[in-house]
Amino acid sequence: MTKTISRRDFLKLGAAGAGALALGRMLPPKVAQAARDAGTISAEGNGFVHSMCEMCVWRCGLIAKVVDGRVVKLDGNPAHPHSRGNLCPRGQSGLMNTYDPDRVLTPLVRVGKRGEGLFRQTSWDEALDLVAGKMAEIKNKYGAEAMVFSSTHNLSQPLFENLLYAFGTPNYGTQRSLCFNAMIVSNLMTYGMEEPARLYDDKLNYILLTGRNLLEAISTSETHDLSAAIDRGAKVVYLDPRFTKTASKATEWLPIKPGNDLAFHLAMLNVIINENLYKNYFVQQYTVGFDELKKEVSRYTPEWAAPLTGIPAETITRIAREFAAAAPHALAHNGWRTSNFVNSFHTQRAISILNALVGNWNVTMTAAAAEGAGLGAPAQPAYPRVSALRLDGVPWKYPVVPFKIGVFQELRDNIISANPYQAHGWFISRQNPIMSLPDRGKTLEAFGKMDFIATVDIVMNDTAWFSDVILPEASYLERYDPLLPVGDKAFIRQPVIEPQGEAKSALWIYKKLGERLGLGDYFQYTDEEDYIRQQLAPLGVSLEEVKEKGYAEMPEGEAAGFTWNTPSGKIELYSDTLAKVGFPGVPTWEEPPQPAEGQFFLLTGKIATSTQFGTQNNQLLHKYSEEPRLWMNSQTAAELGLATDDWVEVTSEVGQIHTKLLATQAIRPDCVYMTPGYGHLSKGLKTAYGVGASDSAVHVTYTDPISGGQALSQTFVTVKKA
Amino acid sequence: MTEIKHHAYLFDATRCIDCRACMVACSVENNIDMDKTRIWVAGVGIKGEYPDLQRGTMVYHCMHCDHPDCMSACPVGAYTKAEDGPVTYNPDLCIGCRYCMNACPFGVPHFDYDKGIVDGAFIDKCTFCPQRIYNGQEPACVQTCPTDALEYGDRDELIKRAHERIAAHPDRYIDHVYGEFENGGTSYLILSHIPFSELGLPNLPETPVNEVSEKVMKMTIPFALGWGAVLTGVAAGVGLYNKKNEEKAAADDKAEVKK
Repeated sequence: MTKTISRRDFLKLGAAGAGALALGRMLPPKVAQAARDAGTISAEGNGFVHSMCEMCVWRCGLIAKVVDGRVVKLDGNPAHPHSRGNLCPRGQSGLMNTYDPDRVLTPLVRVGKRGEGLFRQTSWDEALDLVAGKMAEIKNKYGAEAMVFSSTHNLSQPLFENLLYAFGTPNYGTQRSLCFNAMIVSNLMTYGMEEPARLYDDKLNYILLTGRNLLEAISTSETHDLSAAIDRGAKVVYLDPRFTKTASKATEWLPIKPGNDLAFHLAMLNVIINENLYKNYFVQQYTVGFDELKKEVSRYTPEWAAPLTGIPAETITRIAREFAAAAPHALAHNGWRTSNFVNSFHTQRAISILNALVGNWNVTMTAAAAEGAGLGAPAQPAYPRVSALRLDGVPWKYPVVPFKIGVFQELRDNIISANPYQAHGWFISRQNPIMSLPDRGKTLEAFGKMDFIATVDIVMNDTAWFSDVILPEASYLERYDPLLPVGDKAFIRQPVIEPQGEAKSALWIYKKLGERLGLGDYFQYTDEEDYIRQQLAPLGVSLEEVKEKGYAEMPEGEAAGFTWNTPSGKIELYSDTLAKVGFPGVPTWEEPPQPAEGQFFLLTGKIATSTQFGTQNNQLLHKYSEEPRLWMNSQTAAELGLATDDWVEVTSEVGQIHTKLLATQAIRPDCVYMTPGYGHLSKGLKTAYGVGASDSAVHVTYTDPISGGQALSQTFVTVKKA
Repeated sequence: MTEIKHHAYLFDATRCIDCRACMVACSVENNIDMDKTRIWVAGVGIKGEYPDLQRGTMVYHCMHCDHPDCMSACPVGAYTKAEDGPVTYNPDLCIGCRYCMNACPFGVPHFDYDKGIVDGAFIDKCTFCPQRIYNGQEPACVQTCPTDALEYGDRDELIKRAHERIAAHPDRYIDHVYGEFENGGTSYLILSHIPFSELGLPNLPETPVNEVSEKVMKMTIPFALGWGAVLTGVAAGVGLYNKKNEEKAAADDKAEVKK
């Protein structure tokens, strides 16, 4: 019972495969001249630079310590609302992304077959001419729509979008449909905004988390807020088929059956409406469609939900009553995933509506500030009109999915099917679709359809490995990005050291490509500093001041009121927009598919020591990550004759992987779990290659018909001894 | 922050989410080799049976004892206990005998088998980040902790805070601050919701181990001399006894022959 892990055991796990390299032995001194000019770094190359993290999309403020021209430590910036002086393990490891021995430091052109990994080094001029030339050729021959652009949420994305809209293609792939389309689209339909901000004040005393594993999927300040709320004695109810670290800290863990979160939330709405526990004045004044909602959820009793969810009816009733009693100091967190099914849109709608019914608006939830508001931007002409249909089915198949969000997996599938036309080129920036899209075999097939693929990245990720040209980007400690407004400040990301090798910023790369494509008018800035100066112009603050302080003060935005950007101007419990295009206007039960006899739900989730598909090669994170294994309930494993560290064969309808097993009590007997992002194909990732197995090799593509979200938990697998 | 007379850490296992930010921060701050670590996770991990489960982990590093066993065991004086708390190690003096490893009841100092006399620094352990704490910063592990599971401050203050926390949530904590008295007191204080043994901590008496061992060590010579005298006496006695027996046996033999 009291078996504990010794330090030696721990190291055995942690150091597997790590090179015995000390950090200090491989950091070339090359301090940023701009930081010297700003006086933040001395002539000897020592000092501190304020900047911003990019190890995930939370973007914590950081202070980089520089000694002898090398970044030697990153600390959280206490003045930044996202870090408050803390950094998570990924933030702490950030300098190893910059000093990764596998960095790509010159432009590369493929010389072997795709996937062989044979490239030659070239100059920026040749590489940019080649990429722009190929893009122009495809445009001339097949039309601009034959070029696909894709990139994952980042600060230079507005300039990426500038390039693709100016180029004139409607085909834009983001990662969002692989992550949280259901959440975004449901909030748009309910509140008219993608994601309302959550407020963790001292009075918040009831938090309902639906698969939101905030203590492992760390968003530093929000993780801190949740932890502090728990410490203070707030009640946290957590739904997850796994006993995660969040489950272990929650007041109540409910190991719900995957796919049935919707049933739980419909029953919550049923109790709250049936027992008149909603805030009547709020519902009357600020919402529309209560009667339609009441009629629909009247059939979703807790007794109905109990066998579906595996949660007793009296527990659901009690939680609904507790939640309503705690309101408005109660919050139902939308969460992102863990249990993503084709019914997830309705689940997310039910959660959004649950918040509205108890009237917690402007108490525990409020309008999120618009990104970029109050900042200047370079002048530019209007974008050309695009008439071609989008390959990802927006809006002709997915009428309520916003253009900027899209349905990435559908885009990939229609590259293969050439429906409604054939794409020929793919420009990818800071994204790894070979790993992130479900069904990797299909993604490689789509790559095979391409005449030309160019990738912008800092390392040889899997997508770069299969590309024709790789443009090396400067890392986030080596470059400027556009400013990020957070609250009443606009924060800067600025170079701490000069880019290593020939690496360049995205702002530079997109501008140079734009100029070569005859789109220079869309990039009216001389360099990165000029771009930021134009952003700062309305604020009357100098770049030098921002560089030293790390941020510029912004005028306070208007206090959030009680208006919403929906067609009715109110919170829409019933959505006419949905009804008009043939979807149910209120959340409605949809039975999720079930695994067959002998199959398991395949779950994926996040861990504190990696971000999606891009950090596994970071040596520090590798050092402190546990070996990735397939979780299976201990009893189930024993029945199958399997034990921890056995090699197992995991098979879905689209693929098969081999991985080690972890028999654990911490998961439902009908589920298995794996951490995504392992099992890389690129041999250019020397730390990550050969570690773990890939979830995307077995994930089946299923799309939620309303939100376009990939149903990541709807893959069923068999497991046997390898 | 009030003036720190005795630097100390407070670790609260109920807050720790085992994210390992502290470990990475320590590795970077102190430029630790990629295959080594000064902080590690200990503890039972997940216990119980589905679905009645509990989790217990702690981040483990040097306890900075008030009466460090490593220091008393070190034959060359490579360890120093600062008056204000930290236990530090001087690699230049170390001869690599590993006595400190055996002496430490927490298994903290670890030996570097890759290094020889020339490289020095056979032993590696937490230094309390002197480069930070004497420049107004928190130790690297504490500063980055996203859930405040690790706190830093004056030992008396932290002990007070720990007891206040127990008093505010008696249902949440075991009513004990580990390290307040264990082994004569440590500068790493621990609060927990599960038995301390399940966090991998030894059950130690309040009297420091080294206080006993030092007394024993001081008695070595008198004891050796005394025991030597006793043994000499015994040996002499045995010799005398044997001699008598031999004489008796010889006499008996003769008597037998006579029969």
